[in-house]
Amino acid sequence: MSGTRASLRISVSSLRAHKRRFAGTFTAVLLGVAFLTGTLVMGDTLRGSFDTMFGDAAGGTDAVVRSADVVTVPGDSLGTREPVDTGLIEKIERVPGVAAVAPRIEGAGQLVGSDGEPVGGQGPPTVVGNWIDDARLNPYRLADGRLPERSGEVVLNRGAAEAGKLNIGDTTVLRTPDPVRVTVVGLTTFGGEDGMAQVTYTGMTRADAEKYLMPKPGGAASIQVRAGPGTGQEELADALRAVLPSGVEAITGQESAEENQEMISGQFLSLFTTLLLVFSGIVLLVATFSIHNTFAIVVAQRTRENALLRALGASRRQVVGATLAEASVVALVASAAGLLGGIGIAAGMRALFPVIGFPFPEGPLVIGALSMLLPLAVGVAVCLGSALLPAVRAGRTAPLAALRETAVDDSGASRTRSVVGTVVGLAGIGTILAGVFATPSLVLAGTGAVLALAAFVVLGPVASSYAVRLLGAPLDRLRGVSGALARRNALRSPKRTAATATALMIGVAVVSLFTVFGASLKATMDRTVSRSFAGDLAVSVPAFGGGGSGLSPRLTPALAELPEVGSAVGLGRGVAEVGGDGRQLTVTDPAALAEGFDLGSVDGSFDGFGTNDIAVSRPGADDRNLRRGSTVQLTFADGRKETFTVKAVYERSELAGDYVITRAAWAPHRTQDADTLVSVTFRDGVPAAEARAAVEKAAAPFGNPDVQTRDEYAETSAGAIDMMLTLIYALLALAVVIALLGIANTLTLAVHERTRELGLLRAVGQTRAQLRAMVRWESVLVAAFGTAGGLALGGLLGWVIVKAAEGAGDTPFAFAVPPAQLMVVGVVGLTAGAIAGRRPARRAARLDVLRAVATE
Amino acid sequence: MDAVKVYGRGDTEVRALDGVSVGFPAGRFTAIMGPSGSGKSTLMHCAAGLDTLTSGSALIGDTELSTLDDRRLTLLRRERVGFVFQAFNLIPTLTVAENITLPTDLAGGARDDEWYDALIDVVGLRDRLHHRPSELSGGQQQRVAVARAFAGSPDVVFADEPTGNLDSRSGEEVLRLLGSTVRRTNRTVVMVTHDPVAAAHADEVVFLADGRLVDRMPDPTAERVLDRLKDFDPRTLGASAGGTSASGGQAGAGVRS
Repeated sequence: MSGTRASLRISVSSLRAHKRRFAGTFTAVLLGVAFLTGTLVMGDTLRGSFDTMFGDAAGGTDAVVRSADVVTVPGDSLGTREPVDTGLIEKIERVPGVAAVAPRIEGAGQLVGSDGEPVGGQGPPTVVGNWIDDARLNPYRLADGRLPERSGEVVLNRGAAEAGKLNIGDTTVLRTPDPVRVTVVGLTTFGGEDGMAQVTYTGMTRADAEKYLMPKPGGAASIQVRAGPGTGQEELADALRAVLPSGVEAITGQESAEENQEMISGQFLSLFTTLLLVFSGIVLLVATFSIHNTFAIVVAQRTRENALLRALGASRRQVVGATLAEASVVALVASAAGLLGGIGIAAGMRALFPVIGFPFPEGPLVIGALSMLLPLAVGVAVCLGSALLPAVRAGRTAPLAALRETAVDDSGASRTRSVVGTVVGLAGIGTILAGVFATPSLVLAGTGAVLALAAFVVLGPVASSYAVRLLGAPLDRLRGVSGALARRNALRSPKRTAATATALMIGVAVVSLFTVFGASLKATMDRTVSRSFAGDLAVSVPAFGGGGSGLSPRLTPALAELPEVGSAVGLGRGVAEVGGDGRQLTVTDPAALAEGFDLGSVDGSFDGFGTNDIAVSRPGADDRNLRRGSTVQLTFADGRKETFTVKAVYERSELAGDYVITRAAWAPHRTQDADTLVSVTFRDGVPAAEARAAVEKAAAPFGNPDVQTRDEYAETSAGAIDMMLTLIYALLALAVVIALLGIANTLTLAVHERTRELGLLRAVGQTRAQLRAMVRWESVLVAAFGTAGGLALGGLLGWVIVKAAEGAGDTPFAFAVPPAQLMVVGVVGLTAGAIAGRRPARRAARLDVLRAVATE
Repeated sequence: MDAVKVYGRGDTEVRALDGVSVGFPAGRFTAIMGPSGSGKSTLMHCAAGLDTLTSGSALIGDTELSTLDDRRLTLLRRERVGFVFQAFNLIPTLTVAENITLPTDLAGGARDDEWYDALIDVVGLRDRLHHRPSELSGGQQQRVAVARAFAGSPDVVFADEPTGNLDSRSGEEVLRLLGSTVRRTNRTVVMVTHDPVAAAHADEVVFLADGRLVDRMPDPTAERVLDRLKDFDPRTLGASAGGTSASGGQAGAGVRS
């Protein structure tokens, strides 16, 4: 018992004496824990906010009546649902316990702002619906102006009106996707806020909603029902079920809200938080290396002290205990600070999201027990785990070491290490090759990638001597003796150099991995567009996620009529179940398809393509065992089944999709029609500029869609990738910062260790500037080693992922290495190294020459 | 206006140098002796520009050290002063050859190959040039340090207990090396030591006690130095200090009024 107390006392006094040494460890743990806490708290907060929001939206609705027929395709869990007949309303009103009934006639509608630009549409839905009079069935409240009474009159949620700079009395265009001229007559609020997060809401008369949003009159997306006093939701739903015809279902308001919550929380938010957790993991991994290194150095520097303790009678366990206790104190204090920091991050993000236009609802900060306990446990575990090996080494200190000169850990790489590293590396490469070429599998390739990473870490000390020698070779010539000294200092302890650089290596590797992956995605898109898009111009609307409304199906014929245009082919979207699985259909004019899109080799023909014909892509055909002439049954959202004959099998599905049917075949089953892309080909001999101007003019009334050349279209398609990369870089910056703190910390400890040497150098004439340069260049060299390793590893991993994804999936993937971006990553790594070396360099230069020479 | 070095203030004030005026003539080997705490190391540090005087002035040739900023002092040390410390004289990551040329390399100047060659022969380390310091014995390391100190053809070389960490044979070699270099190449060496045998290698011995100059002894022998040291009695301090001002000739370095 008293032994433990002694250990603790030793560690506390040692901590107090060497506060500075642990600054780096402290910061690394703090940042890692803060990131993790921030992620968890933010995830909970967002989930809570969305739940509250959907609760509010469905608050007064006790039951929802809707069609039971639904087709869900991958990526859309709510699916496409057949409209329900509003004729049922009378029947529902007579059900006992029903207090109010209202049809919800709803669809997608892209509002155009006063500047001609679309409002919202980048993620959150753009909703248009009939204004529901019952105040409990309608979560929106009129805040200003009046309700729509005549056709063409709409109310907007205040947020959307502000975003589009629209005021009461203004007239604008609503794309449903047919452009509808609307006049704003009122502004609404949602639960006291300006809107349901960033969702844009346009409310119109019931007649307008039926006209523009439903394929035929008398339909509604659903029927909302409110119960009278004393009737529960379940009770109401049961009563409704009794009177509803087959093919129509009733669910409680609660269930309806949960479905919406599930869509956001279950899919989008899980993805979001998983992504953030992965990055927290990377940050913590990098932190582990930095922390381990600090402890290893501190223990090495303290050999004499520990030996003295041992000589005085401290047991091995007490020495280990003292080191671990020291780590625990640092871990607890830093983790606690990290928790606070994480809450701060989450609070800051919550405040920041609305400012940068991120589509998240507001809500109170949700701090769950798990969000506190998990990061705390992880922080302590990482810290103690990192300190374990050094602590055991400290315990092994021989008492005799107290009598010897302080030994600095300058052990090189052992033979075992080379052998183990090489074996692991070969195993990794073998697994990767197997996963990429032999039996394409992401799991196999991923395992190989992890083995490769392990090999890089194990071989680090072996590689560091060669790499530093190589990378530092120009230094001798460029920077003279200070450069040479920097290089040799970096070579002194290959293990330490490698451990320091490894943290940066992992950070840089992940950055380059995403850079390579992003570039490959872009190259793939570019290739897709350039080889599958055969037209001169692409007309599309920028939209993302659940937003936007697509292009009006009337646009294609309007463009085709232009004298400058040779042909115009629009691609529409439909859904149906093919052999039991929901699939997206491409709805178009198949006869003209080949003029606007290059489908590669086609088995069969699009000539004389009839209503009961279907064209299938090669992968789609292989999937279902279809051949030219075989038949396939499609089940549409309205529950009807139709049989199609395969008229053609084509090669490229990138733009045209896997199943192509005629507009006539889709028309009976359609919900809200929209095209996603129109390919326009100019008539021969018409100057491109003139033709483009004509197309732009003709397209403008359809709500200002984007008219782009093939290259511009490819670039826009890749724009989302750049956005994703920017976000990822921002997240990874933290990992890189921690790695750089590690370098700075190691150097500070090294400067401390070399006090006498630095004093001697100063005594024989090294200027402060030269001394600073020497330390800085050492830092740059370590950073260069880490960066070079990271670039190599990241490039390898990027290649593995791209190739494995290509092998495992159907889509051909282009592998691209972006030299410019990787060069930037490299330069940033080196510059950051120089910055990391600044503080240790300044400290070294401040050393008093005499004291340095005289130091024991 | 005598050279004064004060550490601390008030009650804790220590006058390490208390009005010393001394010159070290060029082309000579001078030893500074005195009991522990007599200020001999401080005197050397101030004369060499490693430390600054509280009052008074330190000169190397005609250069007044107190007027130099850190950068100029560094350049002065690099170009006009050589050092041999008691221990830890060599940079462990550099080879013997690189350690010797370190000051020249730091200056970025071309080295004088002839002089360098001659030096290597004088210290007798030609076969060890590409070894690391850790592969040398203590005596060899100090010889390398001596070579390094002379490599840049400095005006004066300061040696602080250069034999303090060596056995007597190795120490003897180092001292002979210092002495012979001074006489053969007409260099100036100022050495701090507490060992009468070491002091006997010098051309002249300067005695310090309690921060004051107490005696000078030309052409010393170990016995005479030892005798003089035995005579040391704090009460006689300053008695024989009169007349020991800076030598009028070519002063290699000095601290004076």
